[in-house]
Amino acid sequence: MTTTPSTKTFTPARPIWCAGCGDFAVQGVLEKSLQKMGIPPHKLMLLAGIGCSGTIQNNLKCYGYHALHGRVLPATIGAKLANPDLTVIAAGGDGDGFAIGAGHLVHTFKSNPSIMYVVMNNSNYGLTKGQASPTSPTGYRDNAEAGMDSMLLGLSFLSSTFLARGFSGNPEQLGELMEAAIEHTESGKGFAFLEVLSPCVTYYDTHREWRARVVNVDEDENYDPTNRTECFQKLLEFKEEGHIPIGRIFKAQHPSLESLIVNKEETYPAQQEIGHDDHRKHYDAFMKAHLG
Amino acid sequence: MSSKNSQPILEDVNVIVAGQGGDGSLTVITMLADLFRNAGLNVYTERDVLSRIRGGHAAATMRAFTGQRFCVGSHIDLLVALDEEAVEKNAHQINPDSIVVFDDSSGPLRDGLLPEGTKLYAAPFNRIAMRTMRRELYKNSIAFGIVGRLLGLEDDAMRHTFTKRFERRGQIILDYNLEALGLGLHLADEMGIKHGEGIYRIEHTEPEEHLLLMGNESVAFGFMAAGGRFFTGYPITPSSEVLETLQKWLPRCGGVARQTEDELAGINMAIGAALTGVRTMTATSGPGFSLMQEGIGHSGSGEVPMVLVDCQRSGPSTGMPTKPEQSDINIMVFGGHGDFPRIVLAPGHPEDCFYLSFDATNLADKYQCPVVIAMDQALSQNIASVKPFNLDDIEVEPGKRLTPEEVANLETYKRYGFSEDGVSAFAAPGTPGGMSLVTGNEHDEFGLVSTDPKNRVKMMDKRFHKIEVAKKELPKGREYGDPKAPIGFIGIGMMYGVILEAVEMLESQGIKTRYHQPRTIWPVLDDTFDFINSCERVYVIDLNAQAQLARLFMHQGADSSKIISICRYDGLPYRPGYLVNQILEQEDKQEAKAQ
Ligand code: SF4
Repeated sequence: MTTTPSTKTFTPARPIWCAGCGDFAVQGVLEKSLQKMGIPPHKLMLLAGIGCSGTIQNNLKCYGYHALHGRVLPATIGAKLANPDLTVIAAGGDGDGFAIGAGHLVHTFKSNPSIMYVVMNNSNYGLTKGQASPTSPTGYRDNAEAGMDSMLLGLSFLSSTFLARGFSGNPEQLGELMEAAIEHTESGKGFAFLEVLSPCVTYYDTHREWRARVVNVDEDENYDPTNRTECFQKLLEFKEEGHIPIGRIFKAQHPSLESLIVNKEETYPAQQEIGHDDHRKHYDAFMKAHLG
Repeated sequence: MSSKNSQPILEDVNVIVAGQGGDGSLTVITMLADLFRNAGLNVYTERDVLSRIRGGHAAATMRAFTGQRFCVGSHIDLLVALDEEAVEKNAHQINPDSIVVFDDSSGPLRDGLLPEGTKLYAAPFNRIAMRTMRRELYKNSIAFGIVGRLLGLEDDAMRHTFTKRFERRGQIILDYNLEALGLGLHLADEMGIKHGEGIYRIEHTEPEEHLLLMGNESVAFGFMAAGGRFFTGYPITPSSEVLETLQKWLPRCGGVARQTEDELAGINMAIGAALTGVRTMTATSGPGFSLMQEGIGHSGSGEVPMVLVDCQRSGPSTGMPTKPEQSDINIMVFGGHGDFPRIVLAPGHPEDCFYLSFDATNLADKYQCPVVIAMDQALSQNIASVKPFNLDDIEVEPGKRLTPEEVANLETYKRYGFSEDGVSAFAAPGTPGGMSLVTGNEHDEFGLVSTDPKNRVKMMDKRFHKIEVAKKELPKGREYGDPKAPIGFIGIGMMYGVILEAVEMLESQGIKTRYHQPRTIWPVLDDTFDFINSCERVYVIDLNAQAQLARLFMHQGADSSKIISICRYDGLPYRPGYLVNQILEQEDKQEAKAQ
């Protein structure tokens, strides 16, 4: 379709986030990147989870979907496998993605579908008034657990292909990372995982602290994002020093899920014409197989 | 042995092969079924296994017959027991004039296990296999020779079936099995069961074309025929064959069938796919269906088309995974939180599974709601001979899907636009101008979140109105037996075959009955109420402890004074004779009450 229809559809809502929330930067950068890369709104599906970040799909002009808590990744993968022609982006928070949805994250690393997943990490549950999240440090509101690191988790999968971390306080670099992530999925290279440090100004304002702790690996000549072992070691070192690495953390090659399981000789599942007689041909084969 | 002329023609025979799990009882039964089908008979096979990898008592049953049957008969005519436990477990099913073939490798059969008059053929199959072939594995094939001869099968036909079955596994395996069969035939000669001198004579007819299918395979193919192109699921007994069948067939036509990490991923991946407009299915069993409840509600609220297959097994919780039950009726109909519309269909045999799965796929797309197919372990996994499906009478009906041109010509596109039938037109992602929001949150016509009370009521009413509209085309029930009989039966799933046969058996005893097989159980359709109203009393047969089916009808307004519940929940399938006895007992009570 080259003509732009004049059909009036929904008008994107205004974000409902608190003034100063890191999520504004993520949305701004996402919109800019999509525009810059020329992805038309009708080709974009934005699926989001539950939580403050899980309202982002209301604010963009595109096909939006509000997933169940923790289930944004399987839903996103389903959409991508059904129609690999679409740009399919998942968004959510650290609670949604790393607590209730952790199992799916693990399996998304494992299967490497060409989707982009942006996690707005604010290290607490903003929407339900600030309880500890999987990335909250020990001691935050009596949190006895150790905070998890999604980059280290991603690195542990030999099938992971793109890992990056941005900071909402550094929108320029975040824009570069976002573009690189979208490019990764658009070219069918697999799962682009982008974590964004996105402070919650209302319940856990980490803005200053994070600004002091981030180190940019993009500016580090000695950091090689293609060397998994080295990346792992450096990430641990940063952690011990109290630093949070941001930038292109890791890049590798591995076949994408859809390249392995979608039959390229046929039309994609969602693009097939419903009602055609094609099944008759298969029916004969099915009959033969069960006639004995 | 009887002379050739006195051999009865085989019209209906039940054979059970039993031993330990891994003994290969199912292989023997499958090959027997194949042989009888080739001889022009219909067949039905049933398996009874424990939920363990190897070992434990396991049995497989085959019924071969002329005409149509969809269950195992009331009595076993031939028991093949690969150990003593197999006799202990199954002796109660056999008639005094039954035949027992027994593997006496570990010693002769204990006295008193078999009813008086049973004819016993004992031979040490295991020992012969070990002695001659060094592998216990071949004891089946040796036993097969005896069983085949007894049942009147041709030696050559047996060899042919062996070849067909084992040649896929390589020449060596085939050769060994043929050798073992040869040993079995030789043994039969020695035991005086000569070729052509078995108990039965098989009237070979030109076999009609029919498929040997289990319900799970039929469901899978019905979905595919209806344009279903996306399936996700997590393996769980007894639904796994839906996944396996679609993994084999869907990719050939450009579809995707994917095993997910769990049931939550299963349903949510299916939802994600359905959002793009592809016809989508997932399948599971009770515990997995429980996990999916949140997703099902979401499909109802977000109006995402979805076909769900629930292959019910004994619950609650992890219950008895390999045993049949129909105890998820409550959660199929009422499960999930909040109020949302849904449709539940209930096929009665593998052929029905194909057509109702086809209908379910159409209905989900047309009414944009979850459609559940209520299966049970027996319906799912028992194999029956099925008439070839008639593709001329079925039609893939598209939902209200807008083409890019139609969207371009619209002034406004609203994903959840109000309409007369409650169904909103749908523009698939990728369509310019069709941008929208899909959410389980209450929303306005565009999909934007809304808590406005007026909008809320309108949206709820819109969603429920769809089901009222759908009612007109939901699959109606089928009726059998004497339309004027005062006594009625209602039962679903695996009960179909059993009740039909019970109706016949009662008729032969002078008791006229009729059977209503509802094919839609939610919403409960008028034809079910009409049936109940037109009977003096109706036996509702439930395979659960709490009479879930009977209560569903009563909850919906059926006259409860007419309903008599019969419940079974011991994990065993009904047999027609067992049901008839229960009915006769109840009828006696009725009579006593009347006097
Ligand atoms: S509560 Fe925190 S995370 Fe949520 S919108 Fe407000 S600032 Fe952002």
